[in-house]
Amino acid sequence: MVEAPLLTLAGVEKTWPNGTVALRGVDMVVRPGRVHGLLGANGAGKSTLIKILAGALPASGGTINWCGQAALWTTPRAARAAGIATLYQHIPLVPTLNAADNILLEQRGGLRRDAAARRRAAAVVALLGDPFGLDEIVGELPIGTRQMVAIAQALIGDPALVIMDEPTAALAGHERETVYQTIRQLAAAGRAVLFVSHFLDEILALTDEVTILRDGRALLHAETATLDEAAIAAAIAGRSVTALTRSSAARTPSPPLLEVRDLCSPGRLATTSLSIGAGEIVGVAGTLGSGRSELLHAIFGADPAASGDVRLAGRRVALFTDEAVAAGIALVPEDRVAQGFVPTMTIAENIALSQRRFLLDRTCEAEAARAAIARLAIRADGPDAMVSELSGGNAQKVVLAKWLTPTTRVLLLDEPTAGIDIGARIDILRTVRCLADEGLAVLLVSSEFEELLAIADRILVLRDGAVIAEIADPADLDEAALIQLASGASARTGVAA
Amino acid sequence: MNMKIDWRQHFGLREAGVYYALLILLGVLAAIAHARGLPNYLTAQNLGNIAYQSSLVGIMGVAMTVMLITGAFDLSVASVAALAAAVLVGLAPQIGFPLAAFAALITAAAIGLLNGAIVQFIGINAFIVTLGTLTAVRGLVLVLTDGRSLMVERADTLAQMLAFESVRVPLFWPVVAITVALFALGVLRRSALQLLSACTLFALGLLAGPGFAVAAPVVYLAIFTAIVWAVLRFTVVGRRIYAVGGNAEAARLSGINVHAYKLGAFVLSSVAAGFAGILFGCRLGAINPTALQGSELTVIAAAILGGTSLFGGAGNVVKTVAGALLLFTLTNGFNVLNLGASYQGLIEGVVVIAAAAIYTVGGERRRARRPIVDTAPDAPPIAEAGMGAGA
Repeated sequence: MVEAPLLTLAGVEKTWPNGTVALRGVDMVVRPGRVHGLLGANGAGKSTLIKILAGALPASGGTINWCGQAALWTTPRAARAAGIATLYQHIPLVPTLNAADNILLEQRGGLRRDAAARRRAAAVVALLGDPFGLDEIVGELPIGTRQMVAIAQALIGDPALVIMDEPTAALAGHERETVYQTIRQLAAAGRAVLFVSHFLDEILALTDEVTILRDGRALLHAETATLDEAAIAAAIAGRSVTALTRSSAARTPSPPLLEVRDLCSPGRLATTSLSIGAGEIVGVAGTLGSGRSELLHAIFGADPAASGDVRLAGRRVALFTDEAVAAGIALVPEDRVAQGFVPTMTIAENIALSQRRFLLDRTCEAEAARAAIARLAIRADGPDAMVSELSGGNAQKVVLAKWLTPTTRVLLLDEPTAGIDIGARIDILRTVRCLADEGLAVLLVSSEFEELLAIADRILVLRDGAVIAEIADPADLDEAALIQLASGASARTGVAA
Repeated sequence: MNMKIDWRQHFGLREAGVYYALLILLGVLAAIAHARGLPNYLTAQNLGNIAYQSSLVGIMGVAMTVMLITGAFDLSVASVAALAAAVLVGLAPQIGFPLAAFAALITAAAIGLLNGAIVQFIGINAFIVTLGTLTAVRGLVLVLTDGRSLMVERADTLAQMLAFESVRVPLFWPVVAITVALFALGVLRRSALQLLSACTLFALGLLAGPGFAVAAPVVYLAIFTAIVWAVLRFTVVGRRIYAVGGNAEAARLSGINVHAYKLGAFVLSSVAAGFAGILFGCRLGAINPTALQGSELTVIAAAILGGTSLFGGAGNVVKTVAGALLLFTLTNGFNVLNLGASYQGLIEGVVVIAAAAIYTVGGERRRARRPIVDTAPDAPPIAEAGMGAGA
């Protein structure tokens, strides 16, 4: 009783103009009335695939069949007209308009106050169970309700396929439940749903079938009923592990260098205590929204709402960024473009940004930049190259190089390898290992759990702003088990099937 | 190895455009003067006059440039200058010139602090806040002066004030001294550029002649510009100012006290405006409540002509001064050559927009011309820009 496929992908490829291959031939079949889960690690190609389906990106090869005909849309508008609605993770709503205006944003027509259109919007919202009023300003709604507005916006065009990119990542437990119910309703009404999530329990509870992407290929396609969390986790992981080798020498326990006691930030981070010894790399495993960045920002004093006690070698550090830097704590932030470097400055200037002297010494700075370029294998013309002209991996190395000073004693790394190529990733991880061996204490956040397993001496598992587990010996653990721990149902509540 | 000069970097249209514009304008005005049989336009005295006329706007413009570099905006400078002048003129007869000048500067600093505190700690956009203080402070001037012109009537105080503002400073020997210093530095560091500028400066000094003198405000402007330029160029504080405007979050996460720098820029801007107001008050020994009205826009225009970015992170105070000179050369030229004052505003506006266009287009070209350094860049789009942390 398998229905005719709604969407069929055959060998869909995507190569970026610079030669990077994002998709190497994806085959996938989406059927009406079913919830189709799409999974994959960071960089596996999920977002690229979604953008191609949504018409935001052209595919470089392969065929896409929509309702039995070759799909040729090249703009998001054409895709929507064909019946594909896409919900991106970062909800693109206009916060200053009310819900009705947002829902009807795409509709054409002359009048803004069109009674018929408003009735249609009201009907869609009623279908969702009236979670908000049509005249409420979107910016004033809670984030979960805003997600419902986005869903209503997607449904107003009466799509046959709804693509949802991590619709629950930013939501609290009960808000997630509302989204789940909506998804089931959509499927029951005969629509197809393509559901992207990092939460394995969600995937198991919600989807009918699953496609797992790895390195730009559809690696696994199966009915959800035939799978369990461990099988999915194993399929997501299993990428060729980086050429990193754990230094086998047994570490002698060192006295704690960084001690954090009762650090908390209302709404972001539950009361947390931890300590890191000199020469130790402590990994932090957690999914998006688990409070990973919040933990690092609180320790660094970059979170004004945080309170608690941070001590470096026994001396208390006030929770301000300049105090933290003066004490020797360094943060490599997650979003390097928005938080990491100053785009209008050269490599040398960016590296010298944290200096606390009075006069500039350009010769010395250029020397330091040259040393950093050599040490981290930064691909650049020289110290005077602008950071904004570097690729992501090399820019990230510059951000890291900023802290390679004798005064740095604690390194807080927030996703230092996100979105960069494997070569740069290994360069960075090697340097981190090296720095720890020189006596720094390192707290490393990464979504790439294989990295954590490869270089961390201990791993803390974070979920919903709290440390839920501590793994004393990562060597005994495999990646699938860690994925299961950080995103599995074993520790998660609020999901009902 | 410093002998190799990157000509494009130093003399490109985007980098040195404002200087070219100034030179071309002077040349055109000189040609017009010559064609009409008027006396020589390019005399040391006339150029000194232009510098004198630009000095107040120049001083405010230098501080405004620092402000724009940090990514903020100050519309209230002209009102603050008028308030400082009113405080000076009002108090000088009672407490003497130096104390009155000090009081004027303190008043200005207080308004800067207020502006900065509202912008930084309440989080209102600087444009709105300073638009408010522009009006409010002007109102305060009206209240203080009761809507009438104030005058200093004590002869000795008036003499002190005039001496502060109108004394003429001979420039020949200072120019020679600077030339020698620059030349020595150029030889020492083997910098052809410094030798070249030393020679240019010396030639200009010789042309002006040993008797050349300028009014004191020009010297104040030169000193202030030199100090701010040096701080921006040679100190860590300067770099942090650029960093705060270039990417405030990155600066904060590098341990820079962003609040202090932004607040400092507001105070600097207001104090510079206060100083300009003092000079203005001294010039006439009197203050009219509508004094300097509208000159905040000239100040901003000067900064834009100098290539300062309104988005922060880029700007050069020397070019701002050149921008101010350019604007006042236009004014001066129209007056001296009697070219019809009606066209003046039109031309000034066109010049500002043309300058901004050159900077914008030039900037894009420059970016396009430079090759991407990396041979195998990773593709940001698959890095799941939105999800970044995903997985």
